[in-house]
Amino acid sequence: MDNEVYSFALKNTLDEIRNLCPDITNTFMFAEDGEIIAREENTPEKTTVRVVDALDSILEKAEAIGGIEGITLEGYNGRVNVSHMNGFYLVLVTSKKADANYVNTITRVLIPTVLKLLEKIHPTSLNGNLPSPKTESENSRVKEFEETVKKLVKETEVEKTKETIQPQIKLEPSLSEPPVNQLIVENLGGLLVPSDTVRIDNEILSQWEETYEGKKIGEVEIGTFDGKTARCKVKPIKGSKYEGKGIIQMPEKMQLDLEIRKGELVRVKPIIE
Amino acid sequence: MVVKKKKSIQEIAAVTEPVAVEPTSDGNLRAGLEDIKTYEGVIGYILRNSTSAAIDLKDPTKIIDYAILSSSALDAGEELSELFNLGEVKEIIVEGKDVKVLSFAVGENKVSIFMDKDADRERILKKLHSI
Repeated sequence: MDNEVYSFALKNTLDEIRNLCPDITNTFMFAEDGEIIAREENTPEKTTVRVVDALDSILEKAEAIGGIEGITLEGYNGRVNVSHMNGFYLVLVTSKKADANYVNTITRVLIPTVLKLLEKIHPTSLNGNLPSPKTESENSRVKEFEETVKKLVKETEVEKTKETIQPQIKLEPSLSEPPVNQLIVENLGGLLVPSDTVRIDNEILSQWEETYEGKKIGEVEIGTFDGKTARCKVKPIKGSKYEGKGIIQMPEKMQLDLEIRKGELVRVKPIIE
Repeated sequence: MVVKKKKSIQEIAAVTEPVAVEPTSDGNLRAGLEDIKTYEGVIGYILRNSTSAAIDLKDPTKIIDYAILSSSALDAGEELSELFNLGEVKEIIVEGKDVKVLSFAVGENKVSIFMDKDADRERILKKLHSI
């Protein structure tokens, strides 16, 4: 997969973010060496180059303050945010009426996840090394990636809608679309641990059961950001050490099957039959 | 569920009012900055206008780097504001891993306040508003 594909994938992500937050007027990403990696269609290339030039002398002196984490410019008509994430700089320009928290939530979830995905798909290209020829399996992974991004955007949007609406009305559960939780993988070991069972917060299980009017949740579907899925049994986490931390305890064999490991994010949804 | 990240600059900007200090006499501004310099976590400040500059930093070895950073931030602020039609610049914050810099203009004067990352920015802003 070559860098063009990455740029295309990131451009799509920026376009989706902009669709989600119309108050974002311009957005683009550039690498630490100043190369423009991706820009959404509303931002001319000339503008991106001028922005990078304007920020160049700040970035050059960044070492004096321990390296740049972010830059915020507050104007009377809007704001510019520059965030340093995974070795890239994301530039976001928003109008003065933009909901800064909403914009931040979306970008802080989506961009690092997308970058992580891209790194997983083909780490060398993201690091700027020579591109390798595209293979059929890579093409299919790109397609999977694009679908994942769209899904992520949709999920983030749904979360935001829930946040906004919850104080006023109780959401009616949608029985056709099961709720999805993103959880961090934690090892599940021991002599008597079944290899087909994961453990998650009892609170999440209760929420799901409440959503499905008391139906017992005995199985879940686990999805990785690489598109791999597995169906397995589920039980509540034992002991308080891992409770309320948003984790999913998973036997090592299952982690191997899903090609994931401790610390990575997975999507988990209940299976209702 | 998303792993909680460190508090970022965007969050700070979202919950605090930007500086927007009204033009004031140089003496008042300087006195205010001297006061701010005594606050916990404040490393120092740079105040400059077209004819003079005052630099008061706890670590003199950083003066050149900080002076360039201050000037670059203010210049970049103007450039970006012009590019994206953001109007007059209220403030520009550069957040590093160790230090953050709050820069803004008050009339002819350009100010940068350097502080530790965890310094109480709210308190500094309150003081600036009262100048």
